[in-house]
Amino acid sequence: MKIIINDIELECKEGQKVLDVARANGIHLPTLCFNPLNPTARPAGCRLCVVEVLEGGRPGLQSSCTLPATEGLKVSTKSRPVYDQRREVVELLLSEHEQDCRNCFVSGDCVFSELCREYDINGVSVCSECPKRRQGCLLSRGVLCLGPITYANCDAFCTRRGYKCEGCHSVMKNEDLLRFGLAAFAKAEFTRDEILEATRVFSFEGVHVLEKVMTEEGFK
Amino acid sequence: MKEININVEHLTRVEGHGNIVLNAKNGKVEKVMWEVSEAPRLFEAFVRGKPYHQLAQITSRICGICSIGHTLASLKATEAAMDIEISPQSELLRRLAIHGENMQSHILHLGYLISPDLFGTGSVVPLVRTHTDAVLAVVKLHRLSNEFSEVVCGRTTHPTNLIPGGFYKTPSPLKLKEYRQKLLDSVETANLVAGIILDNAGALPDFTRETEFIALTAKDEYALYDGLIGSTDAGTYPVDEYVDVVNEFVVPQSTAKYCKNKREAFMVGALARFNLNYDHLSPLAKQWAKKFGLKPVCHNPFMNNVAQLVEFVHSIEDSVSLIDRLMEDYKDEPRPEITPKAGRGVGVVDVPRGILFHEYVYDKDGYCASANCVIPTNQNHNNIQHDFEAFAPSLLDKPEKEIELNLEMLVRAYDPCISCSTHFLNVEWKR
Repeated sequence: MKIIINDIELECKEGQKVLDVARANGIHLPTLCFNPLNPTARPAGCRLCVVEVLEGGRPGLQSSCTLPATEGLKVSTKSRPVYDQRREVVELLLSEHEQDCRNCFVSGDCVFSELCREYDINGVSVCSECPKRRQGCLLSRGVLCLGPITYANCDAFCTRRGYKCEGCHSVMKNEDLLRFGLAAFAKAEFTRDEILEATRVFSFEGVHVLEKVMTEEGFK
Repeated sequence: MKEININVEHLTRVEGHGNIVLNAKNGKVEKVMWEVSEAPRLFEAFVRGKPYHQLAQITSRICGICSIGHTLASLKATEAAMDIEISPQSELLRRLAIHGENMQSHILHLGYLISPDLFGTGSVVPLVRTHTDAVLAVVKLHRLSNEFSEVVCGRTTHPTNLIPGGFYKTPSPLKLKEYRQKLLDSVETANLVAGIILDNAGALPDFTRETEFIALTAKDEYALYDGLIGSTDAGTYPVDEYVDVVNEFVVPQSTAKYCKNKREAFMVGALARFNLNYDHLSPLAKQWAKKFGLKPVCHNPFMNNVAQLVEFVHSIEDSVSLIDRLMEDYKDEPRPEITPKAGRGVGVVDVPRGILFHEYVYDKDGYCASANCVIPTNQNHNNIQHDFEAFAPSLLDKPEKEIELNLEMLVRAYDPCISCSTHFLNVEWKR
């Protein structure tokens, strides 16, 4: 018996689920089957392993752990609807989760922070945690504080104590968030070179995105 | 005769990765080696092309434990290069910063990393059950040191308050007074911990190998922040000549460079400072040194642990007197303004693990052209290797486990911070 996953023909046996076939062939599908983080803890509960059925079955999104492999079945594990669905699932799971995993940069085998990275779920800037964002904002006092374009989750440790943000959690990689942050710098009259020089201490990838956004926005 | 093969790959309870290799046959040591397997860190390359005000922020990341020391060495180098003078008040505050770090690092090493050896356990965790009061006292002191550092430096690790020319924000006098009292109260706890270590100090092996000790020295104080480079063999050197003192060279078994001066190796750290500056220790510190039978010049590397304890007590007492001096005339100082200029500067401080050098060359706009950092553990590696060669033959009659433990204890006594010490591989050292 054969099924097709992502345009690849794969051998399978009677009784196997699509998830088993994918795993046996090294195709990655995220799951939280026996993970304590999964709040529902029942089959097809986490909905992360969804695939899109293209031919040979009921068309649409179905969880691969419950979808039996049948002759001529054709599925995709990385189509746009699949990606969007998974992203939404992760966001919903996170809303029930105690920690804010979106900005977490602690390395280790944490499923959620991996998923956030994989599905581009972005967090918020240091400003959102900073108690001085309205009165006493360092930027408005002429200090080059990198708060508006730096990932939060540090509880604004430095700015809370009156020190500028050095950007140690790295510059954000999401263009929309950066655009929003750049407006704050424009108001405080900092130049492109000053900002880039300051960000290069702790960031690498983020600086490239920032440069791109600055060029698009005509930031001087 | 028995054959002994010991290979401790990744020694535990030290910072970083190091291996111990011992091969012995028929009562003879064939090979004993201290290997450093940590990957190079490349900080000296990172800072090239960076502006002067970012350098301390970057180099402080060399280490999480001595980040205050690295910051201070870096700032001193920058200030020397640009002829920046700092106010007497800022200097006193920086001395407080270094005391805070010294206390924090020493109590961490003694309380969590060395105590398991003294009590014969594998880690500090079982001690929580058996010696609850002692462990809690250690945690209390560790916490106090960290909080004290935060008051002065803004953050415990990777300080934000220390900037070229002085302080970003003058630390609050109220907080300083509060911590003066807390430090005074902590003397009792420190005595308790010291007493417990004294009761178990018998577990430290008695081993002596004559070596050279290098540390900062000053005429009128127990030098940590400022002074000349002092050696037990060769008197003093000016700070600018540090390259001729440390003489770095590369060996195949180590990613960290080795150092030597007058002898085949030298030692830096608490014991070196103790040996060179004993006269300036505070009264209580001298008392504790006496109780442990520690006298200068002591050549037993295991006594480095005891020297750390003595320094811990000294730091408490000296911090209190420094705060008193500060409070005589304490002002809210404005943030320093700096005009960058070209130059070369060397910064030196004695951090918990020994003497630390940073050297920078700046161009006229204040951008770093080249940098060199010589880290204390780096200077100790060669001495550890020579101690191994002298210590291992005397151990061969013991069971293998015990040999292993003794060698591990020897390395731990140096309080090595291995990942700090590895850097810059492709340098050829020429005689």
